[in-house]
Amino acid sequence: MTDNAIPHGTEPTLEALAAAGFDVDALSDEQQQVVRALTPEELALLVDIRGRLDAAAPEVQAHADVAGGALF
Amino acid sequence: MNATVTAPTATAPTATVVAPTVTAPVAASLALRTKLTPIAPVLRAVTAALWRPDGLRERYVRYLAAMHPLVRASVPLLVRAAERCAAASDDPAARRLAAYCLRHAEEERDHDAWLLDDLAAAGAGPAAVPHPIVVELAGAQYYRIEHEHPVALLGYIAVLEGNAPGPRLADRLAEATGLPDGAFRTLREHAELDGGHLDDLYQVFDALAPSPARQTAVSVSALHTANLLTRLFLSLAEDNGGHP
Repeated sequence: MTDNAIPHGTEPTLEALAAAGFDVDALSDEQQQVVRALTPEELALLVDIRGRLDAAAPEVQAHADVAGGALF
Repeated sequence: MNATVTAPTATAPTATVVAPTVTAPVAASLALRTKLTPIAPVLRAVTAALWRPDGLRERYVRYLAAMHPLVRASVPLLVRAAERCAAASDDPAARRLAAYCLRHAEEERDHDAWLLDDLAAAGAGPAAVPHPIVVELAGAQYYRIEHEHPVALLGYIAVLEGNAPGPRLADRLAEATGLPDGAFRTLREHAELDGGHLDDLYQVFDALAPSPARQTAVSVSALHTANLLTRLFLSLAEDNGGHP
């Protein structure tokens, strides 16, 4: 395998977030500046959190009429 | 052309010189808010699972019982963080952080009692043991305060206060569960209180002028908190009693 076979780009953090399902195109320039500087720990946590979306059963979300904050 | 391009002047630019992109530092609060933005849809999804109609009455009681030990830890965490700041009394930022922690501790004081009242109104009592993920949530903060830096607690608070109940949530849950109004005081009170608390937190965070390392400590703490909360809500959303 050569280096060229390894998927990577000029924006690896943005690409990793996009691959995890985050809509990075919706971020403002200023927000993208923040996201580009994410540490590996921050990125790993964000990707892990995004992965839990599948566990929330989309059909439940689709039919739920109540959602939102439950913290204090 | 020099290898290092400095700020353009009125006479320097030519067709071959590319003006450097100068980006102003992003405020600490904006950076943290940005890092937390992607978690909002995930938390919304897991709370949709938590509040789904079937079995909601029992699930709401499980939720209250899980939240009680979490809220019980809030004031002690804030007080401990203030004590740790006092150890660095020559640091103006530490004094400012300590003042915030003590102020917020007073705002949060006795809210765990509200949850006990809610549980009682729902015909239930506190859990015999705290949910394991609640122990992880609060326990991680004790670790960070003791062994990392008390500023990390701001990340935990930002996630909790930033996902406060909406103004109609209590009414909708009361209607769906048939539980008495007295079982929803905590949700109602925090729907009104927590917006102002969050603004205060972000103002303090900026005023601390945290270093990049301290900002990362706060954001990792926040994202770790959000990750554990998604696990907690998914656990409570299941019908096996709420423990993993």
